[in-house]
Amino acid sequence: MKTSTTPTRDAPQGFWLLRPGSLSLLVSRRGVWAGLLLALMTALVGVGNLSFGTPSLTPDQVLAALAGAGDPFNVFMLHELRLPRLTAGILSGAALGVGGCLLQTLARNRLATPGIIGIDDGATAFAVASIVAVPTSLAPPMLALVGAATAAALAFGLGGGGSRGYRFIVVGIAVGALFGALTNFMLARTDIDSANLAYPWTVGSLNARAPSTVVVLAACLVICLPIAKALGRQLQLLRFSDAVAIGLGTHVRHTRLAILVVTVFLTATAVAVAGPVGLVSLVAPEVARHLTGHRGVPIINSALAGALLMTAADWVGRTAFAPVEIPVGVITAIVGGPYLLWILLREPRMTGR
Amino acid sequence: MTQDSRPAACPRSATLSTRELTLGYSDRKVVDRLSVEIPPGKVTAIVGPNGCGKSTLLAGLARILAPRSGTVLLNGRDINTLGTREVAHKLALLPQDASAPDGLTVEELIQFGRQPYRSLVRQWSQQDSAIVQAALRATQLEPLAERPLDALSGGQRQRAWIAMTVAQDTPLLLLDEPTSALDLGHQIEVLELIRELSRQGKTVVMVIHDLPSACRYADHIIAMRDGEIIAEGEPAGIVTEALVERLYGVRCTLLHEPGTGAPLIVNPVSIRHAED
Repeated sequence: MKTSTTPTRDAPQGFWLLRPGSLSLLVSRRGVWAGLLLALMTALVGVGNLSFGTPSLTPDQVLAALAGAGDPFNVFMLHELRLPRLTAGILSGAALGVGGCLLQTLARNRLATPGIIGIDDGATAFAVASIVAVPTSLAPPMLALVGAATAAALAFGLGGGGSRGYRFIVVGIAVGALFGALTNFMLARTDIDSANLAYPWTVGSLNARAPSTVVVLAACLVICLPIAKALGRQLQLLRFSDAVAIGLGTHVRHTRLAILVVTVFLTATAVAVAGPVGLVSLVAPEVARHLTGHRGVPIINSALAGALLMTAADWVGRTAFAPVEIPVGVITAIVGGPYLLWILLREPRMTGR
Repeated sequence: MTQDSRPAACPRSATLSTRELTLGYSDRKVVDRLSVEIPPGKVTAIVGPNGCGKSTLLAGLARILAPRSGTVLLNGRDINTLGTREVAHKLALLPQDASAPDGLTVEELIQFGRQPYRSLVRQWSQQDSAIVQAALRATQLEPLAERPLDALSGGQRQRAWIAMTVAQDTPLLLLDEPTSALDLGHQIEVLELIRELSRQGKTVVMVIHDLPSACRYADHIIAMRDGEIIAEGEPAGIVTEALVERLYGVRCTLLHEPGTGAPLIVNPVSIRHAED
């Protein structure tokens, strides 16, 4: 090997090769820049979320109130209302974004997100059942998880194990419709108070979520995000056909199952907090991929994009028509729908085939 | 150029064989109790009519399809008990329906060939870079390294896929119809590359439709019909008019190509209707 006239690059193009100790890690340059941009924007929107509303505060009032100083009403408002709501928005958006990215990669189809496959609907149906029947604050996340797992198992089992993208999606839509009908049936049968209590579940809202559900979501993210990131290498291979992925040493079935389980946990705990805000899981990975240049599988950036979308939509919904509040799910649908259309029309090819 | 274009680590040798292998899909048996040995260091072509089970056999050999019964032995050990990553160090596969994500460039595709050697804590090394560059050279794709795959001709794209398997640095290479969608010029380009890889020590197994090409480029032919091997051996020794008739239901005259001696099929007449 003495004839190397062309200089050999150490890292593949577009990556930094980091060598801490005996490790060697590849870091996507565009991914890092995209992540910094998304994190900065989320921070700005977060500050906006804390400042604006009724009443609006100046940034230094916000800082003072966060530190526990200043007007006691402001302190109360920030610590008890706006900050928990912002946290709920960031965490649920991140979870939905990652869930969408994982499932899209699994089915090799950008339409295959938890919202469309029916996982959201399953989680909602079971959570609504828990509100209508046993109104406790811990029950919704647990039952949302059961519902999400049920819907995912149905779509996955009947849809050919996720390897055949379109069948998976069509079966998933049917499963979702079934659970949607179940939710409506329960709401129609129950008394008006329970129906009102369950209403946010049907549109997606960050208004007045039980704090315990947010804690469950945070715990789930802490566990699932590193797993999703670690699955990243095999995930990249799932974008090839199965035979190629197996040929390159991927255990395709195990990887698929792991992805599905992680997606179910993330989606269910997010839906337990924010309701079925399905479009976040559809749009956030698109934003992340757009910024990172369509290469790998942008897990972290999907999380950041989801957090940004969710908090921005909640900000708009909360302040645009104040004092009337528009649920966050309605805003994401109004903004996300056209964006999705634009993306799909701009790039006529749906998948790599 | 060929001597210096070899990947840094020379392919170690590996043996591949089956014992009483039965393969199938749902309730249909496609390959029935088949035992075969792949001769090491040679190019083996699996030929036969459509639906004879040749691609199924290749999928079985590449552990894509799990056996109903019997075993595939890689270096004497059951391939389905070995870790799939471990197998990927020994055996590379180019499937027929290989599809890549949108916008992937040639070099990025080839980098995926290093996947079996990468791990969470060891994601890339200088050796990986060197092997990717060597694979680009070996397949003469250096000028096209930055091009997206979808912007290449069929032959160039197939060469890029083969380069990915070269970067995988395995002693065994399995190809499913590597020339099926290519015109004559591109077919020859790909088959000559496969020949060259074999000369460098790789054991190659390919499923191929075209019998004359199989005879010209393979050292060993496995002729299959209805899931069974009906003839096996050197092309010159086994490809006869009688074999063509048994395989394809075609009565023909075989001529021998000047120079290579490879058989050429002339005056083919289908006798399938009369038989069925």
